[in-house]
Amino acid sequence: MIQAYRQAPWRVQLQWIGAFLLILVTVMLIAGVYLFVSAQAASAGTRIQRLELQRENLNIQIADLRTQNALHNSSLIMGERAEEMGFRPATQTDIVYIQVPGYIGRSIAFLAPPPSPPVRPTGLLKPAFQQSLWEWLYQGVFQLSEIQGGRQ
Amino acid sequence: MTPSSGIWRLYLIGGIFLVLSMLIIGQMIRIQNSEHARELTDYFANTYNQQVRVISPERGNIYDRWGNLLAGNIEVYEVGISPPQVINSETIARDLSSVLEVDYEDILKAAQSYVREGNEQYFVVKDFVPSEKIQQLEEKIIEYKEMPRPNRGQPPSLVGVHWVPHLIRSYPENSLAANILGFFNFFDRQAGRGFFGLEEQYNYLLAGAKQRIVIPMNPTAIQEFPEVPPGSSLILTIDREIQAAMEAIVDQTIEESGSESVTIVVMDPETGEILAMATNPHFNPNEYNTYTEIFPPGSHFNRAVSQLYEPGSVFKVFTMAAAIDAGVVQADTPFLDTGAIEVGGIWIYNWDRGAWGPQDMTGCMQHSLNVCLAWVAKELGPTQFYQYLQNFGIGRFSGIDLAGEQVYPVSQPGDPTWYPINLGTNSFGQGVAATPIQMISGVAALANDGRMMTPHVVRAYIQDGQQYNVQPRVLRQVLKPETAEIMTEMLAYALEEEASSALVEGYRFAGKTGTGQIPGPGGYTSSLTNASFVGWGPVDDPKFIIYVWLEKPQTSQWGSVVAAPVFQKAASELVVLMKLPPDEIRRQFANP
Repeated sequence: MIQAYRQAPWRVQLQWIGAFLLILVTVMLIAGVYLFVSAQAASAGTRIQRLELQRENLNIQIADLRTQNALHNSSLIMGERAEEMGFRPATQTDIVYIQVPGYIGRSIAFLAPPPSPPVRPTGLLKPAFQQSLWEWLYQGVFQLSEIQGGRQ
Repeated sequence: MTPSSGIWRLYLIGGIFLVLSMLIIGQMIRIQNSEHARELTDYFANTYNQQVRVISPERGNIYDRWGNLLAGNIEVYEVGISPPQVINSETIARDLSSVLEVDYEDILKAAQSYVREGNEQYFVVKDFVPSEKIQQLEEKIIEYKEMPRPNRGQPPSLVGVHWVPHLIRSYPENSLAANILGFFNFFDRQAGRGFFGLEEQYNYLLAGAKQRIVIPMNPTAIQEFPEVPPGSSLILTIDREIQAAMEAIVDQTIEESGSESVTIVVMDPETGEILAMATNPHFNPNEYNTYTEIFPPGSHFNRAVSQLYEPGSVFKVFTMAAAIDAGVVQADTPFLDTGAIEVGGIWIYNWDRGAWGPQDMTGCMQHSLNVCLAWVAKELGPTQFYQYLQNFGIGRFSGIDLAGEQVYPVSQPGDPTWYPINLGTNSFGQGVAATPIQMISGVAALANDGRMMTPHVVRAYIQDGQQYNVQPRVLRQVLKPETAEIMTEMLAYALEEEASSALVEGYRFAGKTGTGQIPGPGGYTSSLTNASFVGWGPVDDPKFIIYVWLEKPQTSQWGSVVAAPVFQKAASELVVLMKLPPDEIRRQFANP
């Protein structure tokens, strides 16, 4: 009777092998996903680093170009260029004054907007780029338990 | 051998292995938790896991009132060698020595240091390399890439050479307004700071805040770089074109008059904004290491704010304004000039030692009579006289936002250095010292209904991307508006009557000359003088006030001869640059 209910040893072995393979495949799948996500995160990370460096260099270049532009437009250079083009400084006798209704004259430089209410700084990097898979899972589980806890 | 003895042996061997294993595990735990292990872990973590960087923000720019850049930043490079990466040390030594003008042997030694000594340390070849030189190196890299690989030996290569960009201060206008700007010692990358002028005064604003950041080397642990805002930028009250014109007049005047120095300050009396402040010597802040050659010890970087001098008769403006304001005299108060007056037991004479006979107060100012002004001061009394001087800002800091302002305290009754004669000499600007900025700030009250404004050169500043305007600040009401009007009229009339060389056709200006003797060890014995002129206009609506000071002119010692024409030149330029129509046209526009 007992014999009738026992599975054949090869069946048991197969089941064990099957179970082992299932676990192995599952682990490999998770590892694969983890590797994929990690590789993507690493790739994005290096790209961000490169872009940060690029931004820094661009800021340097902008500052440099602004000054180069000022060099080309400096008082001395502009004076020389004007002279080469046949101009000369105006004197009192050269000037004809005309009244232009509504003209209030030249206003001083406004190189930036006036002060406004402070804006809360927001980060450029989304949290997803700064979390590992485990952190993401943990946070998800934590949030879920929080929600359920709240319902209770 | 019995079975039990065999089992015992097995147990023994097993026990020994167990104990050994436990010992090994115990030792591993001990090693891993030792102080040394922790230090080692920290060292590796710090060396390879993260990078610590100190980010210096871009130094703030300085603009003139119309947005023309006066001080900015340009890109330069630090060039270095990473010895372990070097492929061809000869190429590196040859190219760097020719392009960067550095020693061939030094570079060769550094490039070969990894191969010879195992040196892995980065070697800085040269800093502050301009971008043109980097371009030359880049061209060489391209050239080597296109070259065919040689059959023997290493191909020419600059692998292992690195360059890192950074910014340094640059002044695109070179020496223009350098006395206002000051300079930044950019060759000191660690402890650079501003010296003199605005660079020193606003160093904390321009520099911004350095930030130390830790950059993880693990790309999955990437963090966002914190935003390091640039230093605040300044927008000045200075007008570049007016500044350039005034500097040209300074140069021309030095050449023509042989003066030791010439200073011209132009200010808007209504706001206290300084439109130009020109003086000599000229200094190019891009070459700030020439500072000690241009400014020997004892000299002043900006004479307009740092050099005190006895102004002479321009000071009479204060004495007369105080007396009229106090109600002691009026414009038509008569005075009989006998050519001498005794004050504190000492006789005071006129500039020409002559007696000018019957005069009124306008005549006293017109002929700049010391005797008359000493009498006016006596009538006013020392208490009121010195109180007014204080209100005019004499002996006080003007409050200008430039570094290095000097002040000479005025001796007053009760001070051990004060004698009754001081009242007489002070009344015509001797025995008292002030800087041009203090003088112009005080006199400007006459051109602004008796209100004295704080002189300033910063019109606005830009911080965190927003522009904050600096509002003009009233220092105090020094005089009644009527007094200011009377004084302006008196001084305009005096100029016209004198047919002064300060007059500008089509415009009515008020002004006063000054000739101050220079005290030496033996008293006022030298024939050298300080010649000055202060003038403002147009009198019915003053738009500017000009202060001119010639130190020790050689062609003439009199302010009326050497300083008044300089005012005329400056005012003639100003009316054009400020687009001020002649009085007649302006009135037509006002009443069409």
